[in-house]
Amino acid sequence: MAPHNALRNAYISHVRHTLRSMKQQIHFVTGKGGVGKSVVAAALALKFSRSGKKVLLVELGDQSFYEDFFTLSKVGFSPIQLRPNLALALWSGESCLREYARYLIKIESLTRLFFDNAVMRAFISVAPGLSELAILGKITSGLRNHGPPLPYDCIVIDTFATGHFKALLEAPKGMSQAVQFGPMGEQSRQIDRCIRDKQASHYHIVTLPEELPIKEAAELQADIKAEFNIDAELILNKILTVPVSGQVVKEIALDKKDNLNEFAIYLQYQIQRQIEMKETAQKITTDFKCIPLIFETDPWKLIEEMAGKI
Amino acid sequence: MAMELFKNTKILVCVGSGGVGKTTMAAALAVIEAKAGKRVLVLTIDPAKRLAQTLGIEGTHDVTKVPGQNFKGTLYASVIDHKRTFDDFVLRASQHSEAVQKIFNNSLYQQLSTNLSGSQEFTSLEKLYSCYDSGDYDLIILDTPPTKHAIDFLNAPQKLSFLFSEGVAKWFRDPEGKKLGLISHLIQSGTKQVLKVLETLTGSQFIRELGDFFINIEKWQEKLLQRTVDVQRMLIAPTTKFVLVTSFDQAKLKEAEYFIREISKGGYHLDTVILNRIFPSWLDQGSEQNKNKSSDNMDLNNFYSKMKAYYSQRDVYYRQFQAKIEKEARVLRIPDLVNDISDLSGLEELSLLIEERQSKT
Ligand SMILES: Nc1ncnc2c1ncn2[C@@H]1O[C@H](COP(=O)(O)OP(=O)(O)OP(=O)(O)O)[C@@H](O)[C@H]1O
Ligand SMILES: Nc1ncnc2c1ncn2[C@@H]1O[C@H](COP(=O)(O)OP(=O)(O)OP(=O)(O)O)[C@@H](O)[C@H]1O
Ligand SMILES: [Mg+2]
Ligand SMILES: [Mg+2]
Repeated sequence: MAPHNALRNAYISHVRHTLRSMKQQIHFVTGKGGVGKSVVAAALALKFSRSGKKVLLVELGDQSFYEDFFTLSKVGFSPIQLRPNLALALWSGESCLREYARYLIKIESLTRLFFDNAVMRAFISVAPGLSELAILGKITSGLRNHGPPLPYDCIVIDTFATGHFKALLEAPKGMSQAVQFGPMGEQSRQIDRCIRDKQASHYHIVTLPEELPIKEAAELQADIKAEFNIDAELILNKILTVPVSGQVVKEIALDKKDNLNEFAIYLQYQIQRQIEMKETAQKITTDFKCIPLIFETDPWKLIEEMAGKI
Repeated sequence: MAMELFKNTKILVCVGSGGVGKTTMAAALAVIEAKAGKRVLVLTIDPAKRLAQTLGIEGTHDVTKVPGQNFKGTLYASVIDHKRTFDDFVLRASQHSEAVQKIFNNSLYQQLSTNLSGSQEFTSLEKLYSCYDSGDYDLIILDTPPTKHAIDFLNAPQKLSFLFSEGVAKWFRDPEGKKLGLISHLIQSGTKQVLKVLETLTGSQFIRELGDFFINIEKWQEKLLQRTVDVQRMLIAPTTKFVLVTSFDQAKLKEAEYFIREISKGGYHLDTVILNRIFPSWLDQGSEQNKNKSSDNMDLNNFYSKMKAYYSQRDVYYRQFQAKIEKEARVLRIPDLVNDISDLSGLEELSLLIEERQSKT
């Protein structure tokens, strides 16, 4: 090997090492049902991947949204590659727990016996907090160096809607209080530490410029601040950007004979409401972003355009 | 004009994924039947503040006669209190025995009865059942908690009642199989291994808490199960109908199709699918036709065309969807309304719109 090549290799491995020792970034995306969590999470992930990071986009539960959205063949627990630097996986409580059990017990037949047992499976799905803990355990496994490797710089999670998301965040603390001893208590405390770590965990609350979603977002923002002392970012999605001045809209809204009269009345109402909602958002946090309503029905074009605007 | 949806209907359940408009639709549907002369109760979950004010149920969990109404019948409303409903249910099942305090203190119970998966669905149905059982109303409309998928609502109570079934309870109550004979003890050894795995994963304290929980509920397990049977019977009765509320995009329509298949498999009666807020109201009214002056602002004209093209493109999905499910359920398209629909006149406007749409199909 030529000397300069050796030098170069040493340099590359040095860079790799520093990159790896940099903390893995975790981005939680939440918000009320239907506000655009999945689309925004995908756009965030795409944006990070374009800046050279290795990104894993994760959806939670046992049914994949992206599979239908992007017309993919099969989305499951093991990541599939969507784009260079961008992979996608679907994690459920059961699949996370299964992997963890395999890692801990190491006897495949025993793990299988456990998960093939109908009573156990049903139990896992209802046992309070167990699924939530397993999911957060998987998400933070890279940070905690616990479990199979998770070789990504950044994990973007399309999480649950507000109510269930709160339950997700509360699970580690709740569990560590209910079960103080044993492996579960210990794991819970570690996981809890990770989701409170400002350097690693980031929270994005998506909302529409509407009363209910904003109210839910405000409550969640306050909860995260009070409990974790972390400022969650607020994202106002589907903002209608009107390309004409408010004055023009107003005139046409008053002109009953104009064929765009009703359209203008609609726009006027939207503009007014958006102003009010932005004021409300401003009161919640100064850290808020707006994403326009994008008139695009092609899924990838929509995500790409959105990634450019976040 | 009597709506087909309400013929021989005693219970109407509005299901749908989070944020699609279930609460609003439940209230508007209730208005229709109150106007038609019935005693209607709408059981809501977490309504928006202004809607709660309109219904007179802000800050109270009691069944309330909606103020300011002038209907032929009467409209009542209530917000479901999950914690209280759950506790009441346990109290009743335990016949107020002393053991109930032990249960309330059990840390697993505390988690179970509040925010975790399935408990809100369970309490919604519990509340519905007790109102239905009272016989005080001609029609009860149930709003449902926000779930990820519409189908989650139907699956949740079964999942939860599973916790009360003897099979599971026995495991944790008597993990060593002490009460069993020698032979069944040997059969149990597979079970023991499985429990051992659970213990490795969670620790012995967790298993103990579980055992404690199941020992405490042992006495009234039968009552709990009986109740879930009764609730199930109520849900599949022909007088109970389901309305699926959904928003409008490809993924959601696919999910709706899945839901429609699943719900009929379960023996429930789906009547109507409401596609809510699917296009802005100005588009719906085809406003430009009856106006004589065409707008001379080019930018606004372009913007109008752009938005219109976008919504027409989406409309293709709708037509495909409707063609597919026409046989299974009625489909109503409701526009995104501009006016506030959280006051009584707004609800009436929406209810008129629903009646009008339904008479078209
Ligand atoms: N800025 C935007 N411009 C245009 N369309 C958007 C925008 N944001 C979201 N959408 C569309 O809105 C719909 C809802 O978005 P999405 O599925 O991401 O919401 P969600 O919060 O994940 O919903 P759920 O709670 O059901 O999971 C989708 O059809 C999506 O394409
Ligand atoms: N057709 C409509 N036009 C305009 N706004 C609507 C329409 N339907 C519902 N909304 C508004 O949408 C918001 C959400 O509606 P609603 O609270 O009924 O949804 P939900 O399905 O009950 O939500 P959740 O799952 O969180 O309980 C409310 O602010 C409501 O006023
Ligand atoms: Mg989603
Ligand atoms: Mg609601």
